Amino acid sequence: MKRKIALYGRLRDAGHGRILSVELPKSVTCREALALLKPSFGRLLDGCVLATGDEVLAPGDELPAGTLALLPPVCGG
Amino acid sequence: MILVTKARLNPAALERSVSSPKHGAVASFVGTVRSAHAGRVVKAVSYDCFVPLAEKELARIKAAAERRWPVRVAVAHRNGRLRVGEASVAISAGSGHRAEAFEACRFVIEEIKRRVPVWKKEHYTKGDGRWLAGCALHRRS
Repeated sequence: MKRKIALYGRLRDAGHGRILSVELPKSVTCREALALLKPSFGRLLDGCVLATGDEVLAPGDELPAGTLALLPPVCGG
Repeated sequence: MILVTKARLNPAALERSVSSPKHGAVASFVGTVRSAHAGRVVKAVSYDCFVPLAEKELARIKAAAERRWPVRVAVAHRNGRLRVGEASVAISAGSGHRAEAFEACRFVIEEIKRRVPVWKKEHYTKGDGRWLAGCALHRRS
């Protein structure tokens, strides 16, 4: 199924724009989804996690419905 | 007060929001954009932010500080492009005494750097730019 994943930080310069539209299995864990995204981002994906607007998802979590975000390591402040 | 904004920060407003006649201390921390980093001359920094989660994480950090110390905390973080010298983050902690106000301020800025989804890209005077490295996020139970 088609999923929309918002991109942030260094991932916005990867040539996919701000929202990545990608075909993923209906039932997939974050770990599996990240492995499927790896060819699109290469080493830019190192240290990245998937998240919703409420929380960061763990590798074993199944991808929830709704818009997701792909977040690189953070450096606020 | 929790705020993620594209508008200029107002540290004085944060200080007022945590002040109380019962408090003998207000400690504040303001982070600003510096003009040089790692040998490069910086002219601006662009902050990128996943706002819905950033606001929730800031609220969680504020709540954690207020559980740990008898303080009232306010925090604001900028989003968008900032020039050198502009404030990127502002934190205020009001409390009965100075020790917990200082400790809470330090706790909040260190937690922001570890867990709030914000990224920064430095823009250099030669026209190039670079996203800065950071801390990988993890789910918190």
